[in-house]
Amino acid sequence: MVELVPTLLRQELARLAEDDMRLDGRGQWDGREVDLEINCLYNAEGSAKVVMGKTIVYAGVKFELRTPWPDRPAQGSLMCGAELRPVAHRKYEPGPPSPQSIELGRVVDRGIRESGCIDMESLCIVPGEKVWGVMIDIHVLSDGGNVFDACGLAAIAALRTAVVPAERFDVGEDYTLKVKGTPIMASFTRVGGRYVYDPSEEEELGGDERIHITLGDEGHLHSLQKGLRGVFTPAEFAEIFDVAHLRCAELRKLVANQEGN
Amino acid sequence: MGGYGDVQLLRDDGLRLDGRKLDEMRPVSIEAGILPAADGSAMVTHGLNVAVAAVYGPMEAHPRKIQRQDRAVIDVRYNMAPFSTSDRIRPGFNRRSREISKVTAEALESVVLVERYPRSKIRVEIEILAAEAGTRCAGITAAAVALADAGIPMRDLIVGVASGKVEDTVVLDLDKAEDNYGQADLPVGILPNTGEIAFLQMDGDLSPDEYNLAMEYNFKAAAEIHEIMVDALKRRYEGGEN
Repeated sequence: MVELVPTLLRQELARLAEDDMRLDGRGQWDGREVDLEINCLYNAEGSAKVVMGKTIVYAGVKFELRTPWPDRPAQGSLMCGAELRPVAHRKYEPGPPSPQSIELGRVVDRGIRESGCIDMESLCIVPGEKVWGVMIDIHVLSDGGNVFDACGLAAIAALRTAVVPAERFDVGEDYTLKVKGTPIMASFTRVGGRYVYDPSEEEELGGDERIHITLGDEGHLHSLQKGLRGVFTPAEFAEIFDVAHLRCAELRKLVANQEGN
Repeated sequence: MGGYGDVQLLRDDGLRLDGRKLDEMRPVSIEAGILPAADGSAMVTHGLNVAVAAVYGPMEAHPRKIQRQDRAVIDVRYNMAPFSTSDRIRPGFNRRSREISKVTAEALESVVLVERYPRSKIRVEIEILAAEAGTRCAGITAAAVALADAGIPMRDLIVGVASGKVEDTVVLDLDKAEDNYGQADLPVGILPNTGEIAFLQMDGDLSPDEYNLAMEYNFKAAAEIHEIMVDALKRRYEGGEN
């Protein structure tokens, strides 16, 4: 197993970085090919499947009727959770949600929530009594590196296909959930001393800290997260921020193409 | 079983609500080797059910107390995705998934040559992505293909199938409505080559004759699914990869 030789892997990654190369032949800011499928799960009210290299992720949206929080009587709620299930890699153990999967779910959640793409007041049915709770569940089936971006993409793509099951809950007719905008995440990991976009499994294993940037349609930041041990300079951030704009715009276009508009 | 006797599940022409004959199963398709991170994997689509299985190992058995000196243990986790059903399922193990995991593990231990791997563990992860009655059977079929895909020696494959009873009539492979409103359900895991049974559950009400007919249907379906399993494994290795 590759986990046994991180030192050798690190040396190899550092050597490649000197020549501005990556293990799989990609350029520093190149992503892997992304395959997006939407509306692919029976029983989910909205769904998406994302394949990025060896990473495979599903997201499904469910709705429930609930009473609103007392301090926000006219607002529904949105919750996004991710599970790094033991199915996804031999390194994941069964048990309660790990800090890793909690971080993953919360970073994706913030990007979507803070972009304001869901109008929480539109989820209100009877103020103070009945609102919709929207739940996005992300299921990582195969971790081949950069599950953050795959989860972020699957989550927003699934949300954008969601149909509110009002008939089943006896509160009117089904309608398409209104989602304004497509927040997209771009992730970078320090590998061999410099940042690369869309790290592979090997690059994550032999790399250092990571940075996740979620951008809205207008290029505004909606969530940032630095994970793992390491530091970066403002100049380094400026560089990946520019790359993030390009990559996010491409993925946003991919979502639009899949939706056929 | 739900046991609402008054829901019509058979049409006047004798066919079932979805147009199937009494001994007709839903369409099944199988793909092997779909998860790159796993040692072996499979996806089974059985009607509207989607089951994915991944196999990791054989590996060191942890925690130590589960180790067996003379054989491998198979650690199965059957899990339904929160979005796999009409109402969302809270993530995490529940009593139903624990029981299914346990009996599935015991069934798989009956076909895998576990004596070959003393003190080790084989992890089998079954994830249900979409559920429409019959997920444990789809999970067993997926697990068997994933084990074979992982190159783990087995006495035989194992096929998950179910028959049941609706409106006092034995039918093969219950769908959601038939499962909810039917009178019996008989899911089994069949070894297609030896004709043995490694998994058996049942609930509801069946006469001995009905049991025999349901089992006959199950064996017939198992032979059909077995061909699809073998075909999936052949397709996986045709290209010569791995």
